[in-house]
Amino acid sequence: MPATTSLEAFWAAWPLFEDSVLTGVCAGVLLGVLGVYIVLGRMVFLTAALSQVAGFGVTLAFAAQIYLGAGALLASPSLGASVLSLACLFLIWNNQERERARRDSMLGLIFLVGSAGTLMVGSKIVQELHDVQTLLFGSSVAVLPEDFRLVVVFGICVLGLHLWWWRGFVEVTYDQDTAMVRLMPVNVLKLVLMVTIALSVSLCTRVLGALPAFAFSVFPAMGAVLLASNIPRAMGMAAAIGGACGFLGYLFAFVYDFPVGPSQAMVGAVLWAGTAIVSKIVAQLR
Amino acid sequence: MPEPLLKLDQLHVGYLGKGILPPVSIDVKPGELWGIAGSNGCGKSTLLKTMLGLLPAIGGAVQRKEGLGIGYVPQRMSLDLSMPARAIDVVRGGAVGGWSFLNPTFVSREKESIERAMEQTRTFDIARQQLAELSEGQKQRVLMARALVSNPNLLVLDEPTSAMDNPTETEMLTLLDELRQERNLSVILVSHNLMGMASVATHGLLLDREHQLIIDGDIRDVAVHHEVHEHFGRLLRVVVEERFGPLAEPEECHACDH
Repeated sequence: MPATTSLEAFWAAWPLFEDSVLTGVCAGVLLGVLGVYIVLGRMVFLTAALSQVAGFGVTLAFAAQIYLGAGALLASPSLGASVLSLACLFLIWNNQERERARRDSMLGLIFLVGSAGTLMVGSKIVQELHDVQTLLFGSSVAVLPEDFRLVVVFGICVLGLHLWWWRGFVEVTYDQDTAMVRLMPVNVLKLVLMVTIALSVSLCTRVLGALPAFAFSVFPAMGAVLLASNIPRAMGMAAAIGGACGFLGYLFAFVYDFPVGPSQAMVGAVLWAGTAIVSKIVAQLR
Repeated sequence: MPEPLLKLDQLHVGYLGKGILPPVSIDVKPGELWGIAGSNGCGKSTLLKTMLGLLPAIGGAVQRKEGLGIGYVPQRMSLDLSMPARAIDVVRGGAVGGWSFLNPTFVSREKESIERAMEQTRTFDIARQQLAELSEGQKQRVLMARALVSNPNLLVLDEPTSAMDNPTETEMLTLLDELRQERNLSVILVSHNLMGMASVATHGLLLDREHQLIIDGDIRDVAVHHEVHEHFGRLLRVVVEERFGPLAEPEECHACDH
């Protein structure tokens, strides 16, 4: 595959793309860590549904600003993504005790409504076409400095909380019944875990697009749990792989002229394949 | 007369408001090992989960002694072994309870309890191995160590020997009995293997959902209960007599309350 530009050109253009690249790295680190809970807690489809519905929230916010005018100025894309994500989380939370088939159907419904809604509303927003396409295809070449700062500050807050509460989150993810017997606040822990995941996915969807947000929350953790010997190490590895996906995906997209989001997702898939091979070799050597 | 740690008072268990067994009334006192046995699907785990507050009771009550600490070993099938964890990580997790996770140094301060639990369950030599790579017996010992880290008064085990061969099962039950005596623990052991349970239990609670029958009491009384032969076979009495010597036929059957 011929490169359309050189590595030197990437570094020469670094000041232009610095915020975008670093936003991808931060999102990769944040969702990589949270992805360990997503993958081990079998919430991958939850994340897929949330990323789609967050996209729908963003397009609804754009539509509200355009069609409702000044009265809808408060309807920011970030707010739209967060509100719809949390509303869906509430729906899923209320169905968590029901049978698995029903919960799966609910996730399918949220995913489909989110995707269809984004496409339908997005097709009517001519003025913000670029932003909507960015959201749909995760092709965000440029990220606004304020969005970069938001991702950094939000990421530090969420990761700080997870660093502090990780034993509680791990216990309710690993063995909820025993956590209840030990009188742990299971519902509080589950709610905080789910809300931090939903808000992180919705923010990264708003800034980078649905595809990279979903990829960051799945691939790094999938790879890390294959190699790591315990959860803290898995989180460290997932953070490193997620950050690498964000950076290398952008670099790959720049050098070979591909869209950024899909490149970040594909780099994630390649890194996962690498960890799967390494874990097989390690298992053979034992 | 010691105060019971756990008292089931006409506890009625089931799902969606429908009872599956007659009401159960037992007192679990310090040092007792209660074996709950019955065929698959008879409601053993439902009863256990209701006792622990994991399922709502249809009726009756569960009274816990104030300050009761419970160590719980769930069915191994309910745990996800794909989670990366070494034996030591699983055991350390047992130190977390209540809101203690808010204190990041809490687990390291429980080092002595962790070491004692691992020593008593003989899991020191496998501490650095991945849980998923251990044998069934080793996994169960690790889960027992995890349940013991919080120094409970009552240890509750749900089918701990279900995936084990006979020698491993015997080894596990012997270890359980040793732990009971060393720590003066009360134990509730759920098992589908009546004979294995009878080889260590001080008390028995036999469930037969089909005939809506519950037999409970001292294992020697349960073994000679007139309905045990009919519904659970003759081997129980043989196993209990191997432990305690010949059992006399009861003049008054203490286990015939139900």
